[in-house]
Amino acid sequence: MKEITLTIDGKSLSGKEGDTVLEICQANGIDVPTLCHLDGLSDVGACRMCVVEIERERRPIPACTYPARDGLVVKTSTETLEKYRRLMLELIFTEHNHFCMFCEQSGDCELQRLAYRYQMDNVRLPYTFPSLPVDSISDYLVMDHNRCVLCGRCVRVCSEVVANHTLDFGRRGWKTIISADLEQPLGESSCISCGACMQACPTGAIFGKLSAYKGKESECQATRTVCPSCSIGCELEVFTRDNNLVKIQGAKFTELRGQLCQEGRFKLLAENRPRIITPLVRDGQGDLTEHTLSQTLDIVAENVRRRKGNFAGLVSAKCPNESISYFCKFMHEVIGSNWVDTLDGESYRVISTGIENFKDGARGLDIECSLEETLEADCILVVGTDLVETHPVAGSFIRKAAQGGAKLVVVDSVRNAFAPWADLWLKPERGMEGALIKGLATTISKGGTETLAATTGVGPEELQQIVAIYGKAQRAVIVYGNGILEHKDTSVITAILNLAASVGSYVGDKLRVISLKPRANSRGAWETGAASKQRFSLAGMKGVYVLLGDDVMEDEKQLSELKGVDFLVVQTSYYSPLTSMAHVVIPSPIWAEREGTYVSLDGRRQQAQRVLSAKKGLKSDEEILRELSFKLGRKLS
Amino acid sequence: MAKVKVATCWLDCCSGCHMSFLDIDEAIIDIAKQVEFTASPITDIKEFTPVDVGIIEGAVSNVHDEEVAKNMRANCKILMVWGDCACFGGICAMRNLFSKEDVLRRYYIETESTIKGKIPSSEDIPALLDQVKPVNQVVKVDCYVPGCPPTSKAILYALTELLQGRIPVLPSEMMRFD
Repeated sequence: MKEITLTIDGKSLSGKEGDTVLEICQANGIDVPTLCHLDGLSDVGACRMCVVEIERERRPIPACTYPARDGLVVKTSTETLEKYRRLMLELIFTEHNHFCMFCEQSGDCELQRLAYRYQMDNVRLPYTFPSLPVDSISDYLVMDHNRCVLCGRCVRVCSEVVANHTLDFGRRGWKTIISADLEQPLGESSCISCGACMQACPTGAIFGKLSAYKGKESECQATRTVCPSCSIGCELEVFTRDNNLVKIQGAKFTELRGQLCQEGRFKLLAENRPRIITPLVRDGQGDLTEHTLSQTLDIVAENVRRRKGNFAGLVSAKCPNESISYFCKFMHEVIGSNWVDTLDGESYRVISTGIENFKDGARGLDIECSLEETLEADCILVVGTDLVETHPVAGSFIRKAAQGGAKLVVVDSVRNAFAPWADLWLKPERGMEGALIKGLATTISKGGTETLAATTGVGPEELQQIVAIYGKAQRAVIVYGNGILEHKDTSVITAILNLAASVGSYVGDKLRVISLKPRANSRGAWETGAASKQRFSLAGMKGVYVLLGDDVMEDEKQLSELKGVDFLVVQTSYYSPLTSMAHVVIPSPIWAEREGTYVSLDGRRQQAQRVLSAKKGLKSDEEILRELSFKLGRKLS
Repeated sequence: MAKVKVATCWLDCCSGCHMSFLDIDEAIIDIAKQVEFTASPITDIKEFTPVDVGIIEGAVSNVHDEEVAKNMRANCKILMVWGDCACFGGICAMRNLFSKEDVLRRYYIETESTIKGKIPSSEDIPALLDQVKPVNQVVKVDCYVPGCPPTSKAILYALTELLQGRIPVLPSEMMRFD
């Protein structure tokens, strides 16, 4: 890009052709006030706060939309400009209804900050007092149109980053308001409650119910960590006050990899399962009674000794690598057991066996590409997953790619909230997703859709379309999820890889395939060897030790197998169906009280920071296991 | 040196600004040495006489407020207003989102605790204006101390500036709307 030189406030500055005047000012530390500008989003010049004087221009011009040119002479701070900016603020304040004294955002509000900066101690214009709605139907968000300045940051983040296009401007002229779909309440619209609009909003027009009035940012401590919800590994910025969670934001939310979904932004705050804070041991009457940790570990140690060897360990892949490795070491070295698995071990076995049976499967999960590859794709096949439900941020990547021209095909037999975005939705009969994938490679190379149509229930026309789309694609990405994994058919995984390979969809030595792993650290857990290569039945075990953390055991089969176990120890943060069948329950920290390494679904290693200090007397999983080892006469480093 | 004469009054408000003024702690001793309060809710004198500085707290909501504001303006050389209500309309102006009739009906008849309510009407009761206004829409204002209420620090700053012969403008870091 060509270098340009221009003069701003008497200083000669350089930038690149294509930079806006505002970008050059900001890069050089020149403070130009902004309101509708947000780093990472496009600029629209809606608020007029960043007006500057440019030589040979007849009137002040917004710096955010003015392309810098060689030789421009710009002034950013003159008496006239300051007068205009103050007047702009007065116009904004009289346009809608702004009352700071009870507003949730007071103290964190960009509009208020500007009014202070420009010493707006009175308003010279009559107020309009329009009658505007407040929409509070959504579970997590309130949209108060009274406080809206129509900067459009919410609209832009919803379309440019989340690529969901729920928000837009509705009505015309001075009656304009922000509208979800066709003026639906947010909670009944196509909104996916990712909360990006709330983070983008400079005022209190969109705010979160769970965080409201819990503290201003200046009163909080902000900690960056990794989201514990799904396997994408988004970066959270967690605000805490007096060791309580206040709000969660996306650390770099205007970037695709920096955004959050409702799980990370809201559901972590909405946690209301009853917490376990004291160790519990089942007594003769079958009730769980409180014990000290030392007493409890004595009981566990005695039971472990009695059931020598025949003891299995299960660990949640929501724990970081360090805890998982420590648990495995404990099981192997102290308990002397080889029966260790992760809660999601079944997914591991399906995926890894499927990959092993592929022609260059020796590289294991490393054969899969990164989520960013979807952005380069010209065709994306989303198989057996509802991205809106399971991995919403991956959904944003894929919507973004589709809006950039990639063809989007969804293969799912059941109702799928992501499917409306697809160019083509193939709906095979239940359980026939695998057969469809297996048949596609053959159909693409040899033609003939009739047999495949007959076996899978997908219409021949649709099959011809997918053959045309996928067969022609140069950079097709396949993303698959639980709808495939739940059938436990490893040959389908191999078929997916073969399908990608058949059209040569390689990027470097990686295939353009992504499996959606179930938990935040599934990949980390699997790569540390915590998941068992062979399935084993828990029902035959004399004892099982489950390190559950704040995870939930949802697998009915696992639960029913554990029901028959002679001695069940559960180390967990919350009461659950599993604790109601456990013989011993040991408290465990929640995500915010942990630190450690997490590996995302596409292999990014990230460090989670401790956000909250642990509740009084609560020990880390490692400390508990170390103490138990000591009681069993072993020293675990 | 002759004391500076100051009159204060409150219109449609909660009196929080005056409370905030009384919160200036020991600084009030210095102020009292230099200032004589004439008409004011603090002295409980209602009749305005000519003063150097007039201070108004509150928004203009009814015909009485309008009268008092004009009377204050006529009697003072410099008019300062305190608080969001006087500067911008504030909480009081929230009634502008509804019609005057709706507000009266809601307050006197429909409130859950009211039985057989009646909207009072008498020529002794000042009639509500259609719209609540900040003071500068009724009379000329010379200086403003916003805040809900303004901090005592801001009030003290404004008074000190006035006593030193300057028209106060709150510096950005002292500005508060809440």
